Amino acid sequence: MSSTAVVNRKIEYSESENRNALIAVKAHLILGLAVLLLMMLAGLTMRAVQGTWLEIGADLFYQIMTVHGVGVVGAAGIGSTGVLWYFLRQYVRLSNTIFWINFFVFVAGVVMLLGSIFLGGYGGAWTFLYPLPGKSMGVWSTGAAAVFQLALLIIGTGFLILYLDMGRGILASFGSLSKALGLPQLFGRVPVDTTHPPTVVAGTMVLIVNFLGIAAGAVVLVMGLINLYNPEFQPDALLMKNLIYFFGHVFINATIYASVTAVYELLPRYTGRPWKTSKVFYAAWFAIVFMVMAVYPHHLMMDFPMPRWALIVGQVLSFGSGIPVLVVTGYGALMIVYRSGIQWSTTTKLLFLSMFGWAAGVIPAILDAMVTVNRVFHNTMWVPGHFHFYLLLGLLPMMFGFIYHLTGEGRQGEQPKAADNLGFYAYLIGAFLTSMVFLASGANSIPRRWATHMAEWVTFAQVGTVAAALVVLGMLVFTFRALFSLPKAAEPR
Amino acid sequence: MFNKIKREWLLLAAFVALALPPLRQFLEQSMVTHMLVQIPILAIIGWMIGKSLPANWKNKIASWNQWGITGMALAIVIMTYWMLPRALDAAISEWYFELIKFITIFIMGMSLSLSWPLLHPIAQGVFKLEFWATFMRLGWLYLDLPDRLCANYLLSDQRILGQLLLLGGSAWAIAWVFRIMFGTKIINT
Repeated sequence: MSSTAVVNRKIEYSESENRNALIAVKAHLILGLAVLLLMMLAGLTMRAVQGTWLEIGADLFYQIMTVHGVGVVGAAGIGSTGVLWYFLRQYVRLSNTIFWINFFVFVAGVVMLLGSIFLGGYGGAWTFLYPLPGKSMGVWSTGAAAVFQLALLIIGTGFLILYLDMGRGILASFGSLSKALGLPQLFGRVPVDTTHPPTVVAGTMVLIVNFLGIAAGAVVLVMGLINLYNPEFQPDALLMKNLIYFFGHVFINATIYASVTAVYELLPRYTGRPWKTSKVFYAAWFAIVFMVMAVYPHHLMMDFPMPRWALIVGQVLSFGSGIPVLVVTGYGALMIVYRSGIQWSTTTKLLFLSMFGWAAGVIPAILDAMVTVNRVFHNTMWVPGHFHFYLLLGLLPMMFGFIYHLTGEGRQGEQPKAADNLGFYAYLIGAFLTSMVFLASGANSIPRRWATHMAEWVTFAQVGTVAAALVVLGMLVFTFRALFSLPKAAEPR
Repeated sequence: MFNKIKREWLLLAAFVALALPPLRQFLEQSMVTHMLVQIPILAIIGWMIGKSLPANWKNKIASWNQWGITGMALAIVIMTYWMLPRALDAAISEWYFELIKFITIFIMGMSLSLSWPLLHPIAQGVFKLEFWATFMRLGWLYLDLPDRLCANYLLSDQRILGQLLLLGGSAWAIAWVFRIMFGTKIINT
């Protein structure tokens, strides 16, 4: 079946299937939002501790840091999956059952993670870098480290099952992943079809990279688990680190590529202009399939035994990795909005903000991916500065914008409510300040992942605490909006 | 009908040939031929016999094999057991273990053929991935371990098997990638 034949015919589902699917998507979003809110409170707590406004034990600080890292990545994963699945199922037949299975597997994994951290005392960060989980010096037990890694393994398995279903659906509708990516059109084997859905292209890219990333994660988690119970088994530490960062970098990166489908699908509805695919669009997404997987060595620049070529590849591709899709999407969004007479609702404001967050958030990342800069900024607050910018202002606004769309906001041409405006601007200012304070701290060589800060660093942490409080305020508005309006909201037209 | 009977007899003849000393000893003298030739052929014979079972037999079995779960569980238990180095050693040393191996691997092939079509496509995908991962895992293990796993085979034999498993797994992965990336429609929903 050619892709042209498919796009003109959206997949038909029964009334009950659609109802069930909408409930499932809302469940994903509400869970993601709730976890994110809790993680932001955890982040606020850490900044307050570093700013000497709050006193907690170092053990608890590292437990909070661990739950914050793993929780945000997990919530971003489950939320962005909800966004992608909602739009992708319009073009390929997806199973509600598999979607729910992944959800409940995820919930089970979260319970295990919480148990391992707060009951077992595991505080070795989400990175579970070998051999740290097995060498806690009595701070946590082997069992706690094992449950933590087992939980990640289980969560990953759930995602793999979901991706199998997405792959099955895409193959059934488009015949091959290359057709879904638009490669025959890109290479001129068939004429360009401007109605080929961007969501399918993005979904296919996410499927490919995340499948491989999670598979690498499963391998390293199993190796780590064997080591925990059989310490004679000592895998190569550098291989483990490579696998962990390949998995981690790909997974968190894929969340933004999954969520950008909200921009592709929703901005055209609010501007009345279709998002047309083109050869440039296909080329950008094809390039990003490889780039997302090949940039992770920029996390290993201080690991001197790494092959030189891998670090050079990591640096060069990091310069370019953000550019293809970002330019295509950012430029596309600007062109779609420009003089379209768009009505600015919270949905559209958030979606448009996400373009800024994505575009600007990648700049500190590119800087840190340069070996000479990394030599100074490695493991300083610059790193959280980059990913807080990228996630708070790039990824999350895409998810929040989609949530506002689902609540039906702006449907009857109503203006955003005062509370929504307050939430939006509190969040925008707070998120921007949070990221900038992190970046400024990094530029001043303040290390990351330290429970106790030196007196000279405390002011940065205190400003960061105020900024984080603003983020939490905005997030509270978004969460209340979702909790009160989302459950009863009907399917948007 | 004649063709069908003929094929079953041929399969039976192949099974007997594998069990008789010349071929059995020839295949079992090396870890590579034991694990990559004899055992897979036994499973394939079981698979083909399973395919040619009469329809009413299949129906009777199917009521005990909802969604293929029972058959796959049985196949996994058998497969796991025969992946233990001790079990493989025992099959060479003790005739009754050898007999059990011939029967159970044959049953494994049969249960796979009866259960695979009943499985949900996603479950098929999970099993395919797991089979592939087993190839890669064992290949890596056989190459990496400094000691012999089977008392009856040399370390060099184990290493060759490890290389072949990795090679086979890699070829499988490449074939898979080509099929998924560039193939025509391969799955019906």
